[in-house]
Amino acid sequence: MATKTNSIFGGSDIKLSRRTFTKLTALGTAAALSGINSVSAYPEGLELFEEVTAAPAAATNKVKSICSFCSVGCGYTGVVEDGVWTKMEPWEDHPINLGGMCSKGTALANVTNSPRRLRYPMEKVGGTWRKISWDAALDKVANKLNEIRDTDGPDSVFFCGLVHGSNEEAYMFRKFAMLFGTNNIDHQARICHSTTVAGLLNTFGHGAMTNTVIAMQHAKCHFFFGSNAAEAHPVFMQKVFVAKERGAKIVVADPRFTRTAAMADKFVRFRPGSDIAFLYGLINVILENGWEDTEYVENRTYGFEYVKEAVKDYTPEVVERITWVPADDIREVASIIALNKPSNIIWSMGATQHSVGSQIIRASAILQCILGNQGEWGGGCVPIRGHCNVQGVTDMCVLSHFLPGYYGVTSEGSWDWYAKCFSDTPSTSGKITFDELKARFDTLNGESMMTKIGFAVSRWYEGVLKPEAEIDQPHNIKAVVLWGEATSSVTEMKREKEAMEKVDLVVIVDPFPTSASAMPDRSDGIILLPAATRQENSGSVTTTGREWQWRDTIIPPLYESKTDMWIFQELAKKLGFGDHFDYNSIEDVTREINLAVRPIGCQGQTPERMKRQKENYHTFDPWDGRAKGGPCDGEYWGLPWPCWTTDHPGTPILYNDKAPVMEGGHDFRAKWKYPDDEPNAGEEIVRGNLPPTGDGSGTIHWTYNYAKDPTGEVNEQALAEGNPPTGRGRAMLRVANTKWVDRVPKHREPIESPEPDLVATYPTYEDKKFYRVMTEFKTEQQRSIAENRHVNYPIVLTSGRQVEHHGGSAQTRNSDYLVQLQPEMYVEINPKVANDIGVKHWDFVWVKSARGQCKVRAYVTERVNEKTAFMPYHWAGVFEGQDYKDRYPTDGVELARGDSVNIIASPGYDEQTQMQETKVALCKIEKA
Amino acid sequence: MVNYKFVHDKERCIRCGGCFAACKQQNGVPEDISRINIVTIDEGKSGERHITMTCMHCNDPPCVRACPVKGISKREDGIVINDKDKCIGCEYCSWACPFGAPKYPDTGPAELRGIMDKCTFCVIPYEQTDEYGTSILRAPNPKCAGFCATKARLGGDASEITATYNERVAGRLVERQIGV
Repeated sequence: MATKTNSIFGGSDIKLSRRTFTKLTALGTAAALSGINSVSAYPEGLELFEEVTAAPAAATNKVKSICSFCSVGCGYTGVVEDGVWTKMEPWEDHPINLGGMCSKGTALANVTNSPRRLRYPMEKVGGTWRKISWDAALDKVANKLNEIRDTDGPDSVFFCGLVHGSNEEAYMFRKFAMLFGTNNIDHQARICHSTTVAGLLNTFGHGAMTNTVIAMQHAKCHFFFGSNAAEAHPVFMQKVFVAKERGAKIVVADPRFTRTAAMADKFVRFRPGSDIAFLYGLINVILENGWEDTEYVENRTYGFEYVKEAVKDYTPEVVERITWVPADDIREVASIIALNKPSNIIWSMGATQHSVGSQIIRASAILQCILGNQGEWGGGCVPIRGHCNVQGVTDMCVLSHFLPGYYGVTSEGSWDWYAKCFSDTPSTSGKITFDELKARFDTLNGESMMTKIGFAVSRWYEGVLKPEAEIDQPHNIKAVVLWGEATSSVTEMKREKEAMEKVDLVVIVDPFPTSASAMPDRSDGIILLPAATRQENSGSVTTTGREWQWRDTIIPPLYESKTDMWIFQELAKKLGFGDHFDYNSIEDVTREINLAVRPIGCQGQTPERMKRQKENYHTFDPWDGRAKGGPCDGEYWGLPWPCWTTDHPGTPILYNDKAPVMEGGHDFRAKWKYPDDEPNAGEEIVRGNLPPTGDGSGTIHWTYNYAKDPTGEVNEQALAEGNPPTGRGRAMLRVANTKWVDRVPKHREPIESPEPDLVATYPTYEDKKFYRVMTEFKTEQQRSIAENRHVNYPIVLTSGRQVEHHGGSAQTRNSDYLVQLQPEMYVEINPKVANDIGVKHWDFVWVKSARGQCKVRAYVTERVNEKTAFMPYHWAGVFEGQDYKDRYPTDGVELARGDSVNIIASPGYDEQTQMQETKVALCKIEKA
Repeated sequence: MVNYKFVHDKERCIRCGGCFAACKQQNGVPEDISRINIVTIDEGKSGERHITMTCMHCNDPPCVRACPVKGISKREDGIVINDKDKCIGCEYCSWACPFGAPKYPDTGPAELRGIMDKCTFCVIPYEQTDEYGTSILRAPNPKCAGFCATKARLGGDASEITATYNERVAGRLVERQIGV
């Protein structure tokens, strides 16, 4: 907590603005001002303050910046007095949030000023934490990484995290791993929206939210399917309520009666893990009644007949059996979303974190296409992303299967492009050829590891624990670098803990020591590097709606903490590739991104344009996010990608073919690799009259070759011809990629299913080795049935967010305000369950699964039904009932600690992306 | 004449706690009390709603009449404030207040509750003076309303915030009457 106290007018904001909801009148302001100067204005109230004298004026600095919790992208103003960040003020005209922020956002200063911050680099030696210098710490880390690189190869290091970093830092992180010579780098999007990316990318062409938060106001219906936005993204609800007041319907389908559900016109409770069946039930009813948009389906989609075939068996009655939802409710929901258009389908982790996550997203996308919502103002697919820059970090591909801009790692062409970019960029002095880059990677059985997909963040520990022969890389992982990564957000935490105990070195780069420092039972070999918070450095961040905003530094890094950029630069120097990191400023990195990241159109978001928008925020209309006049005339707020050139206004609505491309218009991707069984698919899915520029090898490029054109001329040519460089294709209702087992979604039971009968009809996938590790699907599902888990663990456990905490909560569980609001971990159970086991509200209970147990409070509520229990996932610092408070560095013990739900979560993973299945596990609850 | 008021829109509040944290920060309110509380009605049941409870700065404040030491007063602009130098911590105001707005920290002598504190429309923080002993008086710009995530909490001149609220309610009425 800052110690600076208020002086007269300290922190008060009397700026008047035309759009402020709570604005003061001129009279009010005048009265307030005169109140200070003239005591007589308030004869009763102010007689106490006869001698009103001003304290010495503090040097007050106000900086506008962007919140670093969820992805809505709220703006705020930080008030810095005499160098101390004392207060925050609403950024009242910010086009997205209009000043509004949730408890986390308003506690940003409190978090940054927390006395529990990691103040200097620390090392655990002989069981005790001791302070070391930055130089010594970086030397130790670099020496160990180099040693592992020499003896075991670069793949024996796993890098993960950085989801709150700026686009620039994310790009640097991925570049760092590329030059280190490994694809073993991944971040939280893997366990957040990787299935969204896989699902949407393979349907539409881009794997992101198809509209913006601002566009929510235009909808006639909001269908929340796996999102509790009221708690996870509170400011998002501001826009939803505006739509509601204009007549929009709100429908919420969720296993739990959430705070979002409380505000809905219609709530439906369904069984966790039955999502696809539910969506297919809706599509079935829609087709039955002829509510589909025939013209849209005809003109803009491909493969509708496959969907028709797939959904015909999912009648409301069949779906009732699978989802536990009455058939009439399914009919009612279908009628609301079909008859109130345009409508949005909104999801978060509720839809993504399943063993069929990618398919749930596909089914959602198909629903929107059939209703003709895709590409409309007010309609579309709305995956709300979890962290402030998870969209940007995904775009910069801190992922083990992509390079920045979604260039696949398995293609040598991607690496060739980046070798060129690294050499040609004027931002750094380093030069590297493709062959030199390839030589930095290890080989396995004669093949370079460069083009092999690395471990996923959800499974990295298997690279440590599994025998070397069972993993697809030369040697086991020997060191892990957790760069702003919460270990408690990964399922199978017990295995992760074991892995953290087995590796030679754990490096934690974070503003707080975090629960990761306390989790592994080891006396040596942990190094903590104090990173600056996001409020202490700057860079661009991408909102969930693909809008780039410039996040400014409120105060310089406190204590000895350093910005991520500095740490990358110093480490790169010590590892021998510092010349690729000799940027003069963070803006230099942005310019390298503008040069290199082409597939998603990151050419228009220059530092200059972003900063110009920030200065002229008031010229943007909060209704559609577009500047009307002024220096940014015609631009959309945040230049949502794709933003093809420095003259392009940004694309607020993806796939909107009604607007000209230079006004933000867009279309479905045209370039797909067509399978053998559909040789003529190319001609059928392309729209317009683009000439084929194929190479004759079966891959037909019905589009422009813009993605590896460093000059940008191809973009210019496409725009001149009135086309997006991605071409004009159709939405793929059937996936083109034949590697997908289900090219059209179908319901499959979760790995741990409470319904063994349904498992027989809707079994999961065959076991599969991908992301370097064997993954059990059918084996684990059958094991669950063989062990009678549906009887021994009769309650379905699901997890989710609390509004007061965020992610692994290293920040929020260290904030006094937020801990006052939400002090302890709990499990929500139905009153019937509580009474049956003899537990009262707030008693301690054990929640047990086949993996382990958690000791938490019982929150007795009807939010959950008697077959379901809910636990928030933010908690750590207590492990199976044992408080680890003695294992943190002394000053860094987290203010609030609790047992982690991921100790007991399911070992299920998505068949496409290794997304973990956190939303369905079987558990039992016992009195503690 | 300006008259400062709050409006709470129960159709918009989602209990995000932004008002709570904003108030704590702006006014330096200690851990054991809060000037604003969010109360949930029918939690987990159909009709669940959240209400933020603070001083509503009544036009005819019962607390002013109840206070035996004339410590509470209503300013010309409508804001009701408490003089902590006069307050004796008798808690009569809390009996009188229909909203439970007056709060008492656990910091009094002999484990007694201390001097009353309540919402001042952000014009006076918890500590009424700064480190130089100067009385603090700020512009009436309540941070709970400014930061409200969904704009459920409106604070400002009564005529303006009621107009904003009217617009919203009109939208809802249209929906109900013509069943769009």
